[in-house]
Amino acid sequence: MNSHAPTTPNASRAKPPKPKLRSTLSFMLKYKTLYLLAVPGVVYFLVFKYVPLLGSVIAFQNYNLFKGFTGSPWAGLAHFQKMFAHYDFLRILKNTIYLGLLDIAIAFPAPIVLALLLNEVRKLAFKRTVQTIIYAPHFLSWVIISGIFVGILSPSSGFVNTMLSWFGIEPIYFLVENAWIRPVLVGSGVWRDVGYGTIIYLAALTSINPELYEAAEMDGANRWKQTLAITLPSLLPVITVLFLLKIGDFLDFGFERVFVFQNSLNLDSSEILDTFIYKAGLQQMQYSYATAIGLFKSIVGLTLLVIANTLSRRATGESLY
Amino acid sequence: MKKRSSIFLVSVLMISLLAACTQSPSATPSTDAPPASGGTATEKPADDKPSEPEAPKEPTKFSIGMRTLNVKYVENHANINDDPYVKALERFTNTDLDIRLIPHAEYETKMVQMFATNDLTDVIQASGGISGKELAGSVEAGVFVDLKPYLEEHGKALLETIPEAAWERVTDAEGHIYGIPEYLGNPSRRATWIRMDLLEKTGLPVPKTVDEFLEVLRAFKKLGVEEPFAGRAEFKYADTFFGAYDVFGYGNELELVDGKMQPKFLDVENMQAAIGVYKTMYDEGLMSKEFATVNPNTFKATITSGKAGMWSMNANELPIWGEQLVNNVPEAKVALIPSPIGPDGKGGYSLYSPVTRSFLITKQAEDKVVDIIKFFEWQTTEEAKLFFSYGLEGTDYAMNGSEPAYKAPETNEELDKQRYLNYWLWMVQDTTYNELVLSQTEEGRALIEIYDTMLANEGRDGYEFNDPLEAWVNNPDINPFSDRYPPLINEHIMKMVFGQEPIADWPKVIEEWRSKGGDALIEEATKKYNEGAVVYAPQR
Repeated sequence: MNSHAPTTPNASRAKPPKPKLRSTLSFMLKYKTLYLLAVPGVVYFLVFKYVPLLGSVIAFQNYNLFKGFTGSPWAGLAHFQKMFAHYDFLRILKNTIYLGLLDIAIAFPAPIVLALLLNEVRKLAFKRTVQTIIYAPHFLSWVIISGIFVGILSPSSGFVNTMLSWFGIEPIYFLVENAWIRPVLVGSGVWRDVGYGTIIYLAALTSINPELYEAAEMDGANRWKQTLAITLPSLLPVITVLFLLKIGDFLDFGFERVFVFQNSLNLDSSEILDTFIYKAGLQQMQYSYATAIGLFKSIVGLTLLVIANTLSRRATGESLY
Repeated sequence: MKKRSSIFLVSVLMISLLAACTQSPSATPSTDAPPASGGTATEKPADDKPSEPEAPKEPTKFSIGMRTLNVKYVENHANINDDPYVKALERFTNTDLDIRLIPHAEYETKMVQMFATNDLTDVIQASGGISGKELAGSVEAGVFVDLKPYLEEHGKALLETIPEAAWERVTDAEGHIYGIPEYLGNPSRRATWIRMDLLEKTGLPVPKTVDEFLEVLRAFKKLGVEEPFAGRAEFKYADTFFGAYDVFGYGNELELVDGKMQPKFLDVENMQAAIGVYKTMYDEGLMSKEFATVNPNTFKATITSGKAGMWSMNANELPIWGEQLVNNVPEAKVALIPSPIGPDGKGGYSLYSPVTRSFLITKQAEDKVVDIIKFFEWQTTEEAKLFFSYGLEGTDYAMNGSEPAYKAPETNEELDKQRYLNYWLWMVQDTTYNELVLSQTEEGRALIEIYDTMLANEGRDGYEFNDPLEAWVNNPDINPFSDRYPPLINEHIMKMVFGQEPIADWPKVIEEWRSKGGDALIEEATKKYNEGAVVYAPQR
């Protein structure tokens, strides 16, 4: 980092500065205090966010812990080839994408709907209580959540199967059925985070000008019409930004969340890139291989983010950047 | 003025930040630097006082990194280096220890971090021998001192006390010895447990064969026992019947068939029979229908609340689990019985490695090796045996003439302390059981008897390689765990037990296993074996 920083000014001093550059420099000089103030932040990001990115080079090496980046032999794209050639790669990628899509389709709108519903609640005390209760699961760890779900989904003693039996349905061992594991994974995520996710929407809702509602009421709009015509459009910028961020994390379904629910009977549907990276990279200590998969994941995420951002900017005018 | 002071403030901030930054890269590893140079720089020169040969020697100061092993006494201690027993150990051995704890759960990652940042202690504790994953290739990278010449000159008692099989596990292909092992004289640690009171109610004799075991389980079911056999996810601690048919698939369970080194589960006939037993148990409700999601806590709760009739657990847990069970179910009587025998007349669980922990000395401490070896050697003496078993004379026990009078611990704290002394602080010993402590009580003497007569005669073992085989490392799906089948194999066993696949399809499973790296594994293992790479033969 230190070696890179001074090169630009030096290079500019060697050549006769172009007029544009000079005006930039004088502009910077004029606001030097602001620039100085920005320096700690920039340094922070360089040191803690960008320099570690260079560590990704081990994806192209046969990394040896004792030789470091400098001493490890280069492997080219071998680890990427190995990843694509793996007999299960397609299945794992498919699972990852499928779970990501399910998550966007179900877990993303859930807090919006919930926030709109809460917004309609008139009794303040009731609303506060509900909010507190639905926040709570967010602070439980996945290990505990998996314990809870194993309990309530148990075929012999679980609450869900007891309910099913009232309708004469045979008990289902949800956690070992490939067909059920995805709903369980997405559902447990919704259960854990839906309340927490409403915070930001509820905050956005309070900022809507009440006069809009009064005007709409004058025009004879009922509550449903008001929601459609005022509340939702006002929330749209927040929804768009959060949606774009979500797209960027598309393949990041979360390692722990899946890992705690995995067992040998549901692997067909539950193995995703994150759990595969953990098994291949950390359990077997294949750092280069795991980094290659991780890098692939990040690149896919970045590409999707850029595409979605462009689409969104063209369609709605809202975008991240 | 105002502006100037703000510029000053900002630049101070910036400089302090930069200073902090420039320090951090230097703290990251310069892995090229020889590890030895770091140590010698901080050490005083050895020939500091050459003119006083007979003066009492200064205590040898060294640091040692140790896994906490979930020992509560250690984990709850404010500073283990201030512990009276550590102080006593230092007095006995004329050392000055600096123990650095490595959290049990994060052991592997913490160790790798230690190596990556070159922040090593003088002595490092490995789990098992020198081929453990946590060592991350450091042995080959030359991080440790070859102890062989030192041991031959200064550690004769160690060489004599510790069995050959244990030394093998810390010796590399070239014959260098890189660690001092804590060993298991009897590697058969797990046992089959049964509720004797229930068995008496059924009127059946103690079962021996697989069929007799099933009969007992059915009788338990009739008595209303909820889980006649306590199952657990991935058959961990529930692999009793795979042992009867000798078809384990763990890293130490390879066998030589027609000149080929291969896992035992390739034996189609026996494997199908073993899966069949589990399927029968599953179908008839002799084990929980939900065993696929039973974790260690549920497993223990099922047993100690009296819901199970038979299960598998480490034999040395008998006093603790037995007592907890009796607290809940006063009429319960637990016994360890010989494991079910298969067609070859043998049975039992996969044997443990003869090395439970080993202690490696890093090159930065090369100048202290002799004193460190003496520290470990003291632990094989009678004096050490008394200290690590009972504690300190005067505070923990009194001498009754020549016989020590020791009061067995009763409270949880006392039990924790005993565990700490017996199994944690005592680094080099036969850790099968603590003879002095067990011989104090009747149950203890019975347990010794079980170890020496029953468990010593059962257990399954196979060939094991020093370095993990590459075909395993490259294919996580076929890579076994220390006491669980490889994921791929486990998946199919489970599907067959749950009735999703026919057991007759086992040959197809083997085909799949072969195509996903199994063939490469057999080839590599056979080649390594023929080349005489470090291979451990079956212990039994």
